[in-house]
Amino acid sequence: MNTPALSVKNLSVWFETESGRIPVVDRVGFSINAGDATGLVGESGCGKTMTAMAILGLLPSTGVSVRADAIEINGRDIYNLNARQRRAVLGRDIAMIFQQPATALDPVFTMGQQIGAVYKRHFGGSQQHVRQTMLDALRSVGFNHAEDIAAAYPHQLSGGMRQLAMIAMATVCKPAVIIADEPTTALDSSSRALILQKLQHLQTRHQTAILYISHDLAVVRQSCHDVMVMYCGRIMETTDCQSLFSHARHPYSAGLLSCIPRISATRPPPISSIPGQVPAPTDLPAGCHFAPRCTRAETRCRQAVPELDDQNGRGAACFRPL
Amino acid sequence: MNTPTHAATPPLLELKDLSLSFQQHERVAVDRVSLKIVAGSTLGLVGASGAGKSSIARAILGLIRPDSGDILFKGEHIDRMNPRQLKSTRQRIQLVFQDPSVSLSPRRTVGQTLLEPLQHFGIGDANYQREKTAQILHTVGLDPSALKRYPHQFSSGQQQRIAIARALVTDPELLIADEAVSSLDVSIQAQILQLIQVLQRDFGITFLFISHDLAVIRQIADDVAVMYRGQLLEQSPADRFFSQPAHPYGRTLLSFARGQTPAGWTEEKWYLERSSNTAGKATACVFAGFCPEKMPVCETTEPAWRYIQNENQPTLGPHCVKCHLYNEANTNDY
Repeated sequence: MNTPALSVKNLSVWFETESGRIPVVDRVGFSINAGDATGLVGESGCGKTMTAMAILGLLPSTGVSVRADAIEINGRDIYNLNARQRRAVLGRDIAMIFQQPATALDPVFTMGQQIGAVYKRHFGGSQQHVRQTMLDALRSVGFNHAEDIAAAYPHQLSGGMRQLAMIAMATVCKPAVIIADEPTTALDSSSRALILQKLQHLQTRHQTAILYISHDLAVVRQSCHDVMVMYCGRIMETTDCQSLFSHARHPYSAGLLSCIPRISATRPPPISSIPGQVPAPTDLPAGCHFAPRCTRAETRCRQAVPELDDQNGRGAACFRPL
Repeated sequence: MNTPTHAATPPLLELKDLSLSFQQHERVAVDRVSLKIVAGSTLGLVGASGAGKSSIARAILGLIRPDSGDILFKGEHIDRMNPRQLKSTRQRIQLVFQDPSVSLSPRRTVGQTLLEPLQHFGIGDANYQREKTAQILHTVGLDPSALKRYPHQFSSGQQQRIAIARALVTDPELLIADEAVSSLDVSIQAQILQLIQVLQRDFGITFLFISHDLAVIRQIADDVAVMYRGQLLEQSPADRFFSQPAHPYGRTLLSFARGQTPAGWTEEKWYLERSSNTAGKATACVFAGFCPEKMPVCETTEPAWRYIQNENQPTLGPHCVKCHLYNEANTNDY
């Protein structure tokens, strides 16, 4: 059996507060093979970004504790690394694409300087070699006039162009794994289509494993084979995208699907939504965390925690699945 | 649901040949835009970012002065009002912004935030104001205990409800929603769309709903207006637009919204569109450079508005398009 490009086993994250430990990510495990894409979906505040930050080891060392059985890239552990070792891994083996390229990029350096710096810190080489690699990365995301983009400061580019440049930066070292956190949320529809297309292209060409984090199931449907639905730090359902859209088993997954506004030739019926809101991590209900918002919940759902019945990467954490 | 009868009802809001430009950018933000919103209906104003949608909203509120053209609210010229008239009109037109975490003051309780418009316009006595704020909170689905709390104590969905409550408290006739659900999660977005549907149905509020998201527009709009680089290119009843978009740009937007790549769309055009800031030649169609169905005439002559006959759906309002594809042979002059 192949070693997955990214493997996460039993990852948990807590906030350490004066009143005790507050769980924000609860025993999350998954793996992504080279060239595959998996989606992690859920509402804001469900622990999606915390999961990503924990995988990258970017959470602060005080106030937060992280525990995992293993986090591996191509079979190599990246969980037990010291700061120096971690810096050697970030950007080279695993890279992140952020939601807001405007804030993730440095306004005082040109795109070329920023992308070149990532490559240089990992691989070094002559100035000319670094520049050539940087320009190739820009061309690989479709910039025909790579020199112009390299000379531009982030504010001189439109939102979609900045996100493309950000992708060039994330891929300049050809990492095995990319985590894309809401890569298209702030963009218009044509930019969104192009960004997703470019990421799929890189995924195939470099056999990159991509973890898409999004609240938007439409993005995940377009780009991912597998999907995990997260709620209050827990994986509620894990399955392939097609099954999720045709037959969601967890009521929370079904709720998320019903929230997507659809474009139809005739006027659609009024949209449905999931009542209530995500509880704060300090205020998690007993039993299944989704029970208070769930129309199918019964007594045992409020008393015991349903475990994920994971069979070959498919399963739902629910006593009364659909 | 509202079925606007265009001929009979006078519009609540009408823009006539509205143009405005920003000196420092040396570009035209809004270029001869005319549109009407019938009372009780919802107009969805769509287009990519930078098309001029928000500039129109700001001009309607009197926040920026147009270079030329007219803005009529119930037949009165907003752009010619003195400050006092403008103030009383503003009570009738309210705005909901995109991001409630920025548009709500962090230092004011929800109660103070909701009271302020009432005090500013001098609406009712203290008793009325107290009752009104409680009632409006109920309308948007919040608990009365919210009055004493601060915005940061609420989730983003609740914050947007508060922003909508603030807009509703003066009993406006027209609500302008500028990307009001764009920054929200799909689940919260659905809740806010449900609230907007209640406001349309039970309160008869007229909406100018600005969004780049056609799926959102489909949920709530009676009519659709499509903008591109400052110009309006297509206006249509929503049912007609979503089944038979006429303008090549309207079709492009709809394809993308359906997750399809539109015919004739290329990556090169996407880059070109984003690197060219100039609005093109005044004598050409504004979309000519990127149009998959461009003809020679598109680069030399600006198209006129055409009224496309609506024979199959006579109950719907007019469908107008600014495109050379619709020439005199099968259309009438608008």
